[in-house]
Amino acid sequence: MNMVVCVKRVPDTAESEVHIDASGKDIDKSRLSFGINECDNYAVEEAIQIKERLGEGTVTVVSLGDKDSDEVIRMALAKGGDEAMRLEDDAFKGGDGLATAKALAAAIKGLEYDIVFTGALADDDGYAVVPAALGELLGVPHATYVKKVEILEPGKRAKVGRELEGGLMEFLEIDLPCVLGIQTGINEPRYASFKGIKQAAKKEIAVKSAADLGLNASEVGEAGSWAVLEKFTPPVVGEMAEILEGEPEETAAKLAAILKEKGLV
Amino acid sequence: MKDIFVLIEHRRGEMRDVSVEMLCGAAKLGGTVVAVLLGKDVDAFAEKAAGYADKVLYVNDPLFENYNSEAYQKALSALIKEHGPGLVLIGNTAQGVDLAPALAVELGASLLTDITALEMDGDKPKPTRTFYGGKLDAHFTMKDADLYILTVREATFTAEDPSKTGEIVKVDNPVTEDLSYRKFVEYVEPEVGEVDITQSTLLVGVGRGIREDKNMPVVEELAQALGADLAASRAVVDAGWLPSDRQVGISGKTVKPKLYLAVGISGAFQHVTGMKGSEVIVAINKDPDAPIFGIADYGIVDDLFKVVPKLTEKIKELKGA
Amino acid sequence: MCAEEIGFVEKYDLLGCIQCGRCTGGCPVALRTDLRVRCFMYDTQNEERLEELSERPEIWDCTTCYTCAARCPKGLEPLEVLIGLRSLQIEEGRVQPTVRDALESIFKDGNPWGSPRAKRLDWTAGLEVEALEPEAEEATDVLLFVCCTDAYDPRVMKVAQALVKVLNAAGVDFGIIGEEESCCGSEVRRLGEEGLFEMCDEENVELLNSFNVNRIVTVSPHCYNTLKKEYHGLKHPVLHYTELVAELLEEGKLQLSKEMAKVITYHDPCFLGKQNDIYDEPRYIITRIPGVEFREFDRCRERSLCCEGGGGKMWVESESKAERLAEIRVEDAKELGAEIIAVACPFCLLTLEDATKVKGVEEEMRVADILELLAEAL
Ligand SMILES: Cc1cc2nc3c(=O)[nH]c(=O)nc-3n(C[C@H](O)[C@H](O)[C@H](O)COP(=O)(O)OP(=O)(O)OC[C@H]3O[C@@H](n4cnc5c(N)ncnc54)[C@H](O)[C@@H]3O)c2cc1C
Ligand code: SF4
Ligand code: SF4
Repeated sequence: MNMVVCVKRVPDTAESEVHIDASGKDIDKSRLSFGINECDNYAVEEAIQIKERLGEGTVTVVSLGDKDSDEVIRMALAKGGDEAMRLEDDAFKGGDGLATAKALAAAIKGLEYDIVFTGALADDDGYAVVPAALGELLGVPHATYVKKVEILEPGKRAKVGRELEGGLMEFLEIDLPCVLGIQTGINEPRYASFKGIKQAAKKEIAVKSAADLGLNASEVGEAGSWAVLEKFTPPVVGEMAEILEGEPEETAAKLAAILKEKGLV
Repeated sequence: MKDIFVLIEHRRGEMRDVSVEMLCGAAKLGGTVVAVLLGKDVDAFAEKAAGYADKVLYVNDPLFENYNSEAYQKALSALIKEHGPGLVLIGNTAQGVDLAPALAVELGASLLTDITALEMDGDKPKPTRTFYGGKLDAHFTMKDADLYILTVREATFTAEDPSKTGEIVKVDNPVTEDLSYRKFVEYVEPEVGEVDITQSTLLVGVGRGIREDKNMPVVEELAQALGADLAASRAVVDAGWLPSDRQVGISGKTVKPKLYLAVGISGAFQHVTGMKGSEVIVAINKDPDAPIFGIADYGIVDDLFKVVPKLTEKIKELKGA
Repeated sequence: MCAEEIGFVEKYDLLGCIQCGRCTGGCPVALRTDLRVRCFMYDTQNEERLEELSERPEIWDCTTCYTCAARCPKGLEPLEVLIGLRSLQIEEGRVQPTVRDALESIFKDGNPWGSPRAKRLDWTAGLEVEALEPEAEEATDVLLFVCCTDAYDPRVMKVAQALVKVLNAAGVDFGIIGEEESCCGSEVRRLGEEGLFEMCDEENVELLNSFNVNRIVTVSPHCYNTLKKEYHGLKHPVLHYTELVAELLEEGKLQLSKEMAKVITYHDPCFLGKQNDIYDEPRYIITRIPGVEFREFDRCRERSLCCEGGGGKMWVESESKAERLAEIRVEDAKELGAEIIAVACPFCLLTLEDATKVKGVEEEMRVADILELLAEAL
């Protein structure tokens, strides 16, 4: 079975301060560290595990992004990916979820595939658009929030479990080829050794522009997006929490007193 | 102004809150609000929706007993083509995210997902959504389109009391061909462990800030001192530090305890969704900008490894006294 | 897996082993886990067994304390065989998620703690300490190499803070690297991630050489050992802070005025003692503090018991449920009547302090870095 995995390089903002830049439409990324989007990492692992289980097949890694994205591509190659493609063009910049899906679809259309894996959503924009949109653009079925994949008949049919609200799993059977949006926790991603990454650096990453993919600059990126980002603002938080000040000893005492007063202790 | 479609979401005999919220929100935008209900023998939901909508399009067919993107997409696109709404609101749920992008591609519609606020500029939506895990709000305008599809995060709009008596229009199932590529198999309940956190009155929620399995005693002792049960963010469950039945949030449990004490949890919306209904929320987190402080009633900005042991001590003292 | 790449027999001189068993005999973790390092010296001669041997969980029990190597009559380094086996697992990507995350974090952010670089200087808040400019005209005496654990761990941070206070009190001309400082890679190498270690080596040597300084002083013995013995082409001399502080005391630049009427014992870190023969300086410093009554552990200096903090053990839990060595150490200290266990290593600090909590003696027994005691005695 041939599989494609779409990966995205994203800034890690969980523990970092996020500052809006002068344009008001982007953030200052100079002091952020970057890595593979969390669910994409699980998607890569899932594809490689299926290849290992079946004992045959290929995994092609596709990423839309600039040269810096090579790092996350190489990591995926080091883990067991076979080939790689990176989509880079000024025309791709600033795209919303649909525009991104369009570029990916154009790239994947020319490949032979049984399953296209993507992450369920991106940590930065949180759009969660690509899996379902990509399926529709490629004219194949899709499922997203996937937390279990069982190949019933290679190249033909799979059973997948989708994680719904409340932890309920919805199982469905789906024809291949298809697009699956993978959710975190589906597996335990392996480690990509430095040596493996360096060896993977020898593998060629095919770089494709919009023109290479037969795309018009007006179809993709900002021009091809419906949504126009006007500005970022710090979130309007409701009533902010009352922050208890002091050394741990004091804050702990204050909190304990509050809990007591509220009858919680 | 063209009509506004609101897709009613339901599963296993329950209509989801987001549906009523969207109907109430849509009513404030101006224009005719049409609730679209696909299901099998869900007349009660049609009646409920009618209390909030100007019209209910109700397709009653066994095909819609359980959600299936193939069936839903075919039915919705047919209905949209027939009725020509200008705006379609779909819940930003596991169902909505599986459905809306594909529908938008098929119809060539304009799409924005996971919106958290909505204003209109004439016929054109001006939605707001969050970026970077809730650390920023992003304000959007939309390019001109015939149809806008938006997926709406839960609690974006407030559910109000029913005030309308919309007409319920039963529509024949527009999907006539057989489904081909996607088939619903079954629902599987999450495993039930020894503690049912939805029943707990006091919860200590543990997040990735706890860093390692071997640090768990820090929060276990606090929970014990309080007489609380332990709950977790998904980060903690994914790491295997607590079983999955302790997970709070969108893909875990929804809890409404008297106290939810979040320790080392950043407050990602997916987590917050599952615990924001708690009576008192307390957060301990070393990052002053952690979104959890936005919904907490009380917060301590400090290292949990410093504060929690002290808190445990104080609670023990109070209880002893 | 290709044999010519591995060549265990040649790489580790396995045929030189006479199977005397002195290595296992002295191995501290043999006391509590299944690790028998002598057996690995024999079994790995059979290249066909390497894969199977690398899957044994006990290879992750080794703390790389170096006792086995120090005791080997043939001058072999048995621990390196275990590290070699770990490498095989690393290359397959088969490591515990905690190890994976620590290594990925070093690759990405230059520290194993999953924290952004932008927070590397948080520990300096309110302190008088400056980052040096590379290629400065005028030489600075001391470049402090801070260590990720000292920079990010909220407990260990206090040690680095104490060092800054001590150096300022002694009027030392010093500075730090700043946000650009990256993990030394000591644990990286010992976890078997050779490639990543080479990156640490290359990048850090280039970075460190760019500073015009007389010497580099490390806070952690692990950084010390790595910078001094494992890096290639570092042009500055490397000292552990105990060496610098002992010098400052001897020269009368550092005055300790406050009394500390406590019974103190000192736990020799493996990477300072056994591996680098620094035994006297720490003792000299402690005994300079007015009022201190110093008592030696029975197992001290080259016979010191490992705390199990090194060798990547921060990220690997042993399967053994037997008492941790740090707990034994705390018990020994209690018997000794010590009120304070002084340490000179971030990992010793964390493991021993934790052990006092496990043993429930944290009220009466304090674990502190020598620097913290010094700062209090200023
Ligand atoms: C479809 C979907 C469903 C999801 N469902 C859920 C769900 O049901 N439940 C859920 O929880 N998540 C869910 N998630 C994941 C969610 O987006 C977040 O990734 C997750 O909640 C983060 O968990 P966390 O807060 O523990 O970790 P992080 O976001 O990594 O936050 C850790 C926090 O700990 C703080 N911290 C670190 N060290 C310390 C210290 N020493 N002292 C004090 N504070 C410290 C940090 O400042 C940080 O704020 C879902 C995601 C998706 C896409
Ligand atoms: S001490 Fe040296 S010679 Fe003796 S068994 Fe161990 S490795 Fe072999
Ligand atoms: S280095 Fe220490 S722990 Fe490791 S095998 Fe040698 S003696 Fe045992």
